Amino acid sequence: MEHTAPMAARRMITAPLLHRESIGASYHVLTFDVPEGSDAQPGQFAMVRGAEWGDAPLLPRPMSYLTGGTTPSILIKVIGEGTLRMGRAEPGEPFTLLGPLGNTWRPPSRNRRPVLVAGGVGIAPLLYFAKQIAADGATPLSIYGGRSSRDLPLEDELSEISETHLTTEDGSRGTRGRVTDVLESLLDAGSEVYTCGPDRMMAAVAAICAKRDVPCQVSLETPMACGYGVCLGCPVPTTDGGYLYACMNGPCIDARLVDFSRSDHAPRKVATTAGGAK
Amino acid sequence: MNGSNVRIGELDLANPVLTASGCFGYGLEYDEFFDVATLGGICTKGLSLEPRLGNPPERICETPAGMLNAIGLANVGVENFCTVKLPTLRERGVTVVANIFASSVADFVKITERLEAEDGVHAIELNVSCPNVTVGGIEFGKDPKLASEVTRAVRQSTKRPVWVKMSPEAGDILAVGRACEEAGADALTAINTIRGMSIDINTRRLRLVALRIVWDLCGAVSIPVIAIGGIATWQHALEFIMAGASAVQVGTASFSDPCAAKHVMDGIAAFCSQNETTVADLIGAARSS
Ligand SMILES: Cc1cc2nc3c(=O)[nH]c(=O)nc-3n(C[C@H](O)[C@H](O)[C@H](O)COP(=O)(O)OP(=O)(O)OC[C@H]3O[C@@H](n4cnc5c(N)ncnc54)[C@H](O)[C@@H]3O)c2cc1C
Ligand SMILES: Cc1cc2nc3c(=O)[nH]c(=O)nc-3n(C[C@H](O)[C@H](O)[C@H](O)COP(=O)(O)O)c2cc1C
Ligand code: FES
Repeated sequence: MEHTAPMAARRMITAPLLHRESIGASYHVLTFDVPEGSDAQPGQFAMVRGAEWGDAPLLPRPMSYLTGGTTPSILIKVIGEGTLRMGRAEPGEPFTLLGPLGNTWRPPSRNRRPVLVAGGVGIAPLLYFAKQIAADGATPLSIYGGRSSRDLPLEDELSEISETHLTTEDGSRGTRGRVTDVLESLLDAGSEVYTCGPDRMMAAVAAICAKRDVPCQVSLETPMACGYGVCLGCPVPTTDGGYLYACMNGPCIDARLVDFSRSDHAPRKVATTAGGAK
Repeated sequence: MNGSNVRIGELDLANPVLTASGCFGYGLEYDEFFDVATLGGICTKGLSLEPRLGNPPERICETPAGMLNAIGLANVGVENFCTVKLPTLRERGVTVVANIFASSVADFVKITERLEAEDGVHAIELNVSCPNVTVGGIEFGKDPKLASEVTRAVRQSTKRPVWVKMSPEAGDILAVGRACEEAGADALTAINTIRGMSIDINTRRLRLVALRIVWDLCGAVSIPVIAIGGIATWQHALEFIMAGASAVQVGTASFSDPCAAKHVMDGIAAFCSQNETTVADLIGAARSS
């Protein structure tokens, strides 16, 4: 695809959990001990699974890198069995990490200001990216929203390195409303937008950017079985009527390629096939 | 690998471990993980005459019963496979089993003929778990007559070994197996996934179902049987081999660990050298006692 970055070598490693930091009841930062280091770059992800989970859950779960290096970490939101187990893990528990997978955020053009739009746990790949931008001497603009103040994990870390606007739907923190309300007023012709969050939020952000002719990258979220291109379980509808595969062509991708009207990742019935098995 | 080699009809494999169709892409995704040429072989993603986009999302979902999938047989099509994927596999010396599917006997034959024009395809595996549209959508694999018809037609269009992948949905799977043997199949692979309403279910119980079917098939036919179904470790693989399977295929286990098939392969080799035995000697060991 257009901006597939050169990939670091993918590896499967078993690493012990170094520590788990809980942020409220639903969010946890898990940090792993990987002495040989990880080449993970902002936007990339790992397939993560407890090495001692046994048969269930069977599949590893895709998680964006929050940091890389010798202590790679992830931010998880508890939504089901896999994330529940991660949220209960104790230091020393072994995990398998397959990564780094997928491509990275495409670096901002020289004359554009990066605008990061995050929803809830979607902060993970964007905070890592913000740190990289800040290390290069720039200050990104961030818009970070959640349902309430409890859904803004790591907001303080983000505020330290970026000009940050917070929004909550219940008004318990920052501006009452949605990230898109603030985006409308802050966006200018020199912006370059990066977004990660619920599908519907990314679709709205992409629509605003398209209208204003501002480049926008999204980080695709779909269930994944393998994470490296062999199961074909992660299709994302494209505007030309076909599919991209989130793990291979993404997760970071130009928003103009994605047909959000056909991409509904809300849990629903599995489509039936005329073509038979698989 | 000494003592690991097996013979599937006319075909010699370096070891009894292959990767199952649809669970290993086209074998080109593993460069950073291990050398896939060391495997007994790889079965490609199911190939059709024309490329197929597959089903819309969601395609996969995990439930307490196992993994549900509705991929929709997405694939690049036989032409693209021959011109884009196969040359690389050939260059690397990978043992390639082309898994194919179609909704008519004529299309099965057309795909086979296209593959026949290429070097580097070592066997053809028929996915008969798909409906035959010319006879009202009955699955080829459910009916001994349909299964035998497609096997015979493919058999006549290739010099290469033809393997038929058994559908666990068949009412009388042994009758289907015998019909395929009689029609000229060189081996049977068993089993495909269990299907409910066009959704494939890889349950944890699949291995037990597969083990029973493999045991019964080995008693019912005299051609080699290749086992598939929930094989994730070398111990699982040896259970099937001792039950009579001549080789095994590793499926969904590759999703959570890209090196799963390599671990199975290495584990079997280590077992054989520790016990001073060969895979050939272990095949069916549990039957003779
Ligand atoms: C590239 C990528 C990066 C991700 N990064 C993060 C991250 O940094 N932090 C984080 O908390 N989560 C992240 N996710 C989402 C995460 O993978 C899922 O939340 C996780 O797999 C759920 O597992 P579970 O066992 O807890 O839930 P399950 O029991 O598997 O599912 C619970 C419910 O959520 C739905 N669901 C499952 N997976 C997804 C998904 N990927 N997208 C939307 N709905 C889903 C299911 O349909 C089900 O209804 C990422 C996903 C992708 C594809
Ligand atoms: C995502 C997925 C795709 C599959 N695609 C095919 C296919 O194209 N052709 C085929 O014959 N079998 C296909 N299968 C079935 C597998 O090859 C195998 O028979 C089945 O998964 C059982 O083995 P396992 O329990 O080791 O996974 C597919 C299975 C899965 C999970
Ligand atoms: S997750 Fe398997 S192909 Fe993308």
